[in-house]
Amino acid sequence: MRYERQHAWIFVAGVLVAIGCGSRPQDAAATSGDAQGGEPIQLAQAADEVASAPAAGSSTIQGTVKFAGAAPSAERIKMDADPQCKLQHQEPVEKQDVVVNPNGTLQHVFVYVKSGLEGTTFTPPAQAATLDQHGCMYSPHVIGIQVNQPLEITNSDATLHNVNCKPANSKPFNLAQPVKGMKSKKQFTAPEIMVKCVCNVHPWMAAYVGVVAHPYYGVTGADGAFSLTGLPAGDYTLEAWHEKFGVKTKTVHVGDGETASVDFEFAG
Amino acid sequence: MGHRRSLSAARALLAGLISIGGWALAPRTDAAKPEPDPAAGRAAFEQHCARCHGPQAAGDGYDAKRLYPRPRDLTEGVFKFRSTATGTAPADEDLFRTLTDGLPGSGMPDWRHLDEAVRWQLVYYIKSLSPVFEDSPAQPVDLGRDPGRRRVDLAAGKQVYEKLRCAACHGAQGRADGTSAPSLVDNWGRATRPADLTQGWNYRGGSDPKAIVTRVLAGIDGTPMPSYAEATTPEEAWQLAYYVRSLQQEPNWSMIVRAPRLDGGLPSSLDDPRWQQAPRVEVRLRNAMDEAGEWARAQTISTVSFRAAQDGQSIRFLVSWQDPTDDRGDAPDALALALPSAKVLGDSVTLQLWPMRSSPPLDLCVWSAASSRAVEGVVRRYEPLLQAGGASAVPIEAASAYADGQWQVMLTRPLAPALPNSARAAPGRLTPVAFAVWDGGNGGQRATSSWVDVMMEAAPPSTAAERAPATWLWILAAGVVVLGLVWIVKKPQA
Repeated sequence: MRYERQHAWIFVAGVLVAIGCGSRPQDAAATSGDAQGGEPIQLAQAADEVASAPAAGSSTIQGTVKFAGAAPSAERIKMDADPQCKLQHQEPVEKQDVVVNPNGTLQHVFVYVKSGLEGTTFTPPAQAATLDQHGCMYSPHVIGIQVNQPLEITNSDATLHNVNCKPANSKPFNLAQPVKGMKSKKQFTAPEIMVKCVCNVHPWMAAYVGVVAHPYYGVTGADGAFSLTGLPAGDYTLEAWHEKFGVKTKTVHVGDGETASVDFEFAG
Repeated sequence: MGHRRSLSAARALLAGLISIGGWALAPRTDAAKPEPDPAAGRAAFEQHCARCHGPQAAGDGYDAKRLYPRPRDLTEGVFKFRSTATGTAPADEDLFRTLTDGLPGSGMPDWRHLDEAVRWQLVYYIKSLSPVFEDSPAQPVDLGRDPGRRRVDLAAGKQVYEKLRCAACHGAQGRADGTSAPSLVDNWGRATRPADLTQGWNYRGGSDPKAIVTRVLAGIDGTPMPSYAEATTPEEAWQLAYYVRSLQQEPNWSMIVRAPRLDGGLPSSLDDPRWQQAPRVEVRLRNAMDEAGEWARAQTISTVSFRAAQDGQSIRFLVSWQDPTDDRGDAPDALALALPSAKVLGDSVTLQLWPMRSSPPLDLCVWSAASSRAVEGVVRRYEPLLQAGGASAVPIEAASAYADGQWQVMLTRPLAPALPNSARAAPGRLTPVAFAVWDGGNGGQRATSSWVDVMMEAAPPSTAAERAPATWLWILAAGVVVLGLVWIVKKPQA
């Protein structure tokens, strides 16, 4: 009888092992289901105002980034590698590395507070920064994001994109987005100027992400202007980064509630 | 009681089976995992790895430039063959597997001959070189469960291949000829190529379905191959893996191949069914080094398949190879079929080292995609024949076609020497042949093979007897010897 009982225990153990093994695929399905769901959590919209404005101060630093000299002629991108990409453009597409605006300013310059905010920690906003792949181009070409802020990456094209981001200070990743409308959420866990993301399928595609520990950054657009608002009064070092022309720094003092102006200039 | 006893016996049997199953499934390597011994790991690394990976493991060893892909900088923390999420460290077992099996198709050999304990010390040593193992520890990807070949629908797998747009790089037939293939660059800025999925022997991380699922879901960090963990489910990935597995060819590696005598007529076209009578053989190719003695380009052409048939007058070769691009312009794709010239033994010179200043001449049949024609000549360099000329070159019959990332070229040459010193090929003899292939789409890179003996089937027996009366003399002599032996053996008894 004792002999039998021993076997019964082994049997029970065996069954438990079997149940353990059996339950694994269910867990797996649950996990992959989460990852597969793809739909972004919609709290971003509601949390917009609250999360992205820490309102640590009432000062503003603003300015423009000028370009000296003759604007180089933009290079055209050949999209022959993928008919899906070519189809989406009626007009020839130009490279985004050097874009000089009609008013003589420079686009795609990342301007941020490099120093002056030491000792203050900023909660990352819940709202995701977005990076879209549309017409086989990254939109925007240059973005800023706060450390640990979610980055939502979308494929708006009916073709394969791989998002190959290569940060040195955070975990790199290389994700496939083969289906139109697919979204992925990622984040960078440490400041870095700049993280480069590429799509290997379309070698002309590149995006730059400025990862900073605070919300005081901007990217110049069609008017070449930037504006850093809600700063506490103080002395700051500003840095302007451009993918071709490198970095420039300037120091500035801004009083409480004041607006200070800082202009940068890059030469071709 | 008897009933209960049989029940308990059944339980015991079940328990036994489960425990045996558990034992069989448990990773066998765990038992042999020794305690880390940094000094032993360092010593083994210096002895076995430093030559390529460098003394500080920075990927800059003495032989690094002679390898492509280059040896990994192990301090960087980027590991290609993982079963873990993209950007995270590989599992210990991943590193152990890479050491044990090597990376087929690259310069990384297998280290199976080292004791398991030594391989584990190397794993621990590699882990000590990069902070990634602490900063981004291994996060295993969920591989789901292998449904088994019989429960997988290959048509569904093909649909997954299309849905995930694998063809963008790997090509519609898996022949590495996707539209993005030629422009792929790895994270170190070097040209790289997608795996040719039909060539299972070159899958770096293994060609079985589990290895394929792992590559699909974990990606290959540092290369363009992304992780599909967020784009698909393990169930789909297994279907895809079995489909990809079904694309793999069955190679016939051989250093000798029979060229049957087809007196009814040689196959007249590339797809003539009579080619089936000639056995197919695969030959490996290796990129030729550049002037600086380096390998500086990805290997786009790694294997040549060929068949040969003859009719006693001429020999016809059907040569095929995978080339991702059809290049016919200034830098055309090309093929040279090398035979030893009359005064040289084929095996005395390897095509890897040909031509050199003192190289013997070779008999080359050279086909170029630029002209779709072929010439034969006895030469000391490729160039005169590649440029489809040369005073002493003679045109030979050729046919060619390119489809879905594959070239097929048919070359015919007479068995009797067409030129002074050209190769003599005759039925009943072994004729060595070797191949050089150029890929115009890969900077005109040349890849060459070793020599393969073509064994030309002799003429049918009746004809042979007429032509060689000496055979009868030999048979007579053998008979005399046998009779003599019988007499000697029997003599002592007499």
